[in-house]
Amino acid sequence: MKPFRQCLMAVVVLSVVLLVSCKPDRSRLDDGHIRAGKSGVHQDLFRIRYRPKWQAQAQFAGIYMAESRGIYEQYGLDVEIQGLLQAQDAIDSLKSGTSDVVHLDLLRAIDVLRDSTWITNIGQINQKNAILLVGKRSRGINSLNDFKGKKLGEWRSGSYLITDIFLKGSKIPMEIVPIDGSINLFTQNVVDVVNVMRYNEYHQLLQAGIKEEDLFVADLSELGYQIPDEGFYVSKEFYSLHPNECKAFVDATMDGWLYAFSHPEEAIDEVVKRMQQDNIRANRAHQRWMLDKMKEVIMPIAGDLGKLKKTDYQNAIKLMTEYYNFTRDIPFEEFCPNGAQK
Amino acid sequence: MAHRSEDRTIAYQLISFVFAFMLIIFLASILVTRSLYHDIMLDNQLDNMRHLAHERIYLIDGILFRVESIARISRSVFSDYSLTDDERAGFLREILMENPQIHSICIADKATEGKPPLVMFTVRHKLTEREVPGHSYQYADWFQIPFITEEPFWTEPWVDTDGLGELIISYSLPVFETGVRTGLLRFDIRLSYLQELIAGSSYFKVGSSFLVSTTGTLVAHRDMDLVMNHTLFSLKQEYSEPSLEKLGYAMISGEQGHLKINGKSPFGRSWVYYQPLLSNHWSVGVAVDEDYLMRDVYAILMIQTVASVLIFFFVAIIIYARVLNVSRPLKRLALAADRIGGGDFDVQIPESNKSHEIATLSNSFISMQASLKEYIKNLRITTEEKNQIRGDVIFASEIQTKLVPSNTKHPCGVKELRAYGILEPAGDIGGDLYDYFMIDEDHFCFVIADVLGKGIVAAMAMTMAATLLPSIAPHVKSSNELLKELNSFLCRNNIESNFVTALLGIIDLKTGKLQFSNCGHVPLYIRKMDRSFTKYGETHATALGVFENLNIGYDELDLTIGDELILYTDGVTEAMNVDEEFLGFTGLEEILRKLPAPNPETTATMILESVHHFARGSSHKDDITLLVIDYKHPGFLED
Repeated sequence: MKPFRQCLMAVVVLSVVLLVSCKPDRSRLDDGHIRAGKSGVHQDLFRIRYRPKWQAQAQFAGIYMAESRGIYEQYGLDVEIQGLLQAQDAIDSLKSGTSDVVHLDLLRAIDVLRDSTWITNIGQINQKNAILLVGKRSRGINSLNDFKGKKLGEWRSGSYLITDIFLKGSKIPMEIVPIDGSINLFTQNVVDVVNVMRYNEYHQLLQAGIKEEDLFVADLSELGYQIPDEGFYVSKEFYSLHPNECKAFVDATMDGWLYAFSHPEEAIDEVVKRMQQDNIRANRAHQRWMLDKMKEVIMPIAGDLGKLKKTDYQNAIKLMTEYYNFTRDIPFEEFCPNGAQK
Repeated sequence: MAHRSEDRTIAYQLISFVFAFMLIIFLASILVTRSLYHDIMLDNQLDNMRHLAHERIYLIDGILFRVESIARISRSVFSDYSLTDDERAGFLREILMENPQIHSICIADKATEGKPPLVMFTVRHKLTEREVPGHSYQYADWFQIPFITEEPFWTEPWVDTDGLGELIISYSLPVFETGVRTGLLRFDIRLSYLQELIAGSSYFKVGSSFLVSTTGTLVAHRDMDLVMNHTLFSLKQEYSEPSLEKLGYAMISGEQGHLKINGKSPFGRSWVYYQPLLSNHWSVGVAVDEDYLMRDVYAILMIQTVASVLIFFFVAIIIYARVLNVSRPLKRLALAADRIGGGDFDVQIPESNKSHEIATLSNSFISMQASLKEYIKNLRITTEEKNQIRGDVIFASEIQTKLVPSNTKHPCGVKELRAYGILEPAGDIGGDLYDYFMIDEDHFCFVIADVLGKGIVAAMAMTMAATLLPSIAPHVKSSNELLKELNSFLCRNNIESNFVTALLGIIDLKTGKLQFSNCGHVPLYIRKMDRSFTKYGETHATALGVFENLNIGYDELDLTIGDELILYTDGVTEAMNVDEEFLGFTGLEEILRKLPAPNPETTATMILESVHHFARGSSHKDDITLLVIDYKHPGFLED
């Protein structure tokens, strides 16, 4: 019996040793976040779960390059790029704690702070919005005035707020048809005007055989509605616990964007690879266009890369107050602790 | 750049010419053949492509129309009969099971009442049904477009996430109850099913059928990487090939026709025939590689090329052999000509009867050889005679030279005088003369003369004058009388009637008195020690040897110490430069002004050099004679 006990003890001790040695190099922090030690990297990495706004495409090339080129690791981060969670809204992802960092439109971010300031802008990717309203000249649309009374295919989620504000501000009554990402309602003439991003759906229309000269294009940013859209947002609680990691995430991502802009073909290779892995339709010409147009919205002028400008924020608050009954006065520093004081 | 002579042989030139000529004919024939056959072959192949496209369209339209028909019948059953939900579902289950080409059916007939759509599909012949959760379906094309338009609608391919997650195309048609739109029925076909139908064509070994949707999307193509990823317009952007865009517009516009696609895209270097489907207005294309389409033309052109090369090769060999044969006598002729050129005029000229031209050439060579022999013989005689005359002339020249006094420091040993003379005939012998001699102990006589003309006759006249003057001078002692005697002598003995210009002077060594007479000769210059000079241009008679009773005058003047008499012939003043301008008296005086202190040798030499310098490059030649005498130069006192 003694040898059996000795053997049993040895097995138990060996199992404990094995369990200890096989345990991942992770330590749980006070807030429940994990520091993960990557093999071959001797420093602890802070794990961030990032939720992109849409499926893989060049709109997120900077994030992909930051990950694939190891820029996040250099900033001490282990970033998990989550798949598209169609069933869940980005706000819900933050609320439920499914994601740490999400992509949000500035107006939408302000809109969800009607009761309390529970989310924080940690970085502003796009300094300029890329929203266009396009109509076919063949359908009699040759000016903004021709929009009146026509059907507008408008995104039912995401960046619809600026379009609504534009229509209200310009006093253009239109019949709104809520749509998802499809351009087919427009190509099939079910709607007369459609809401598109210059870097994405607009080029899809061109690739569907619609000629640029056959389109009337209203660029909202050039019509006095220059409100930057995409930014990075976290819960206020998350920011208060990890301000340095939030800043590191934004800085690393913008480094990724700079790398993507200076190595466009490599960035497109990476984007197309990810699209193919996710079984998403991909053609390089479209992704090249998208990367090129993203550069125009991310870096319209030099300086303040990745930071929300105070004036842009104030303009957004003003529009929301005027057209969307927003009544709170949230200080810029509270909404965006790392913003640019201009 | 010059070719080496061996490169330009007759064979080389003939072969090059024939090659160039044949090349032009060959290229022209290839172009004509290609052009003619290209159109014929293209027409034939386009017929085949058209048949193939019709076949595919018949197959696909057959299925799509059948689905449309089933959908309409279903909708009619729903509207015409009061069926319960279970009966409706049961009816559609029957349809799904009996029509394998239908992948799935979605019942969303009561969407407006909030009833969730029901998707039914078969998995391994087993019916499966699933409710579609949420409301997102209302924003999908299959629902939204026909729901708004209230018209049936064929969708673009989409991923059926509520079913098996496959790419499908759907036919949706709105359902009405008592005239009110309540929802939709949707009938799905797998895209892969249509892709198999398109890929089933194997008429062409190189080429393929493809299917393009109403947005220009490639929904079926043998290159699966293109399918659903590219439109014809994105390919145009990717490959910068405008013909792809043209094809795209034609296909999405429902046109029918054919087009050549260039560039390096997957459609590059191919012909495409396209025609629309009647059901959903997609377009079927048949693409065939240009090389495959034209393979028969290329085969003909290849045969033509090989035949042309062979013909050229044989023609070149024949030309080379023939030219070698014909040119052999020419080579022998060339060798004989080389020997004649080397002086062997007796060499045997080869004769040839190979061709008329070469025989003519041989005869011409023989004739030329005889002429050359005769010419050389005459030339030899003439040369001997010329050499004899030349010897005589040289001898005469030597005699003439010896008639002229040699230059010594003091002429005739007279210490009061220095003299220096130069006689430079234009040819071997000349017609100029200068001379000086003592008449008696106190009188020094000098003369310079120029006979009209040159050569032997002039020299003979000069020789007579030179011989006569010293012999008569002791008896006459006067310059004009001496010249009169000379004139009489010349008139009596002048065979050729050559006249003579002469300037003769007598210096009285004791008194320094100079008496001189100028008969048609150029003026005398007298330079002083201060380098000033005086021109004595007056003549005392015309030239000698023309009028027998000629009156000749004279002038007298007193020479002072260091006076330098400069005498010359018209060869000096009539020296001509390259612009055919004479030196003249102005030029001569210009030379005199630049002369150093009087010294006969220096003066004579420098005048001659200056005249040569003036006349350099000119072909004009005349006898030049200079005689410079100075009187009681200070050097005399030292002596």
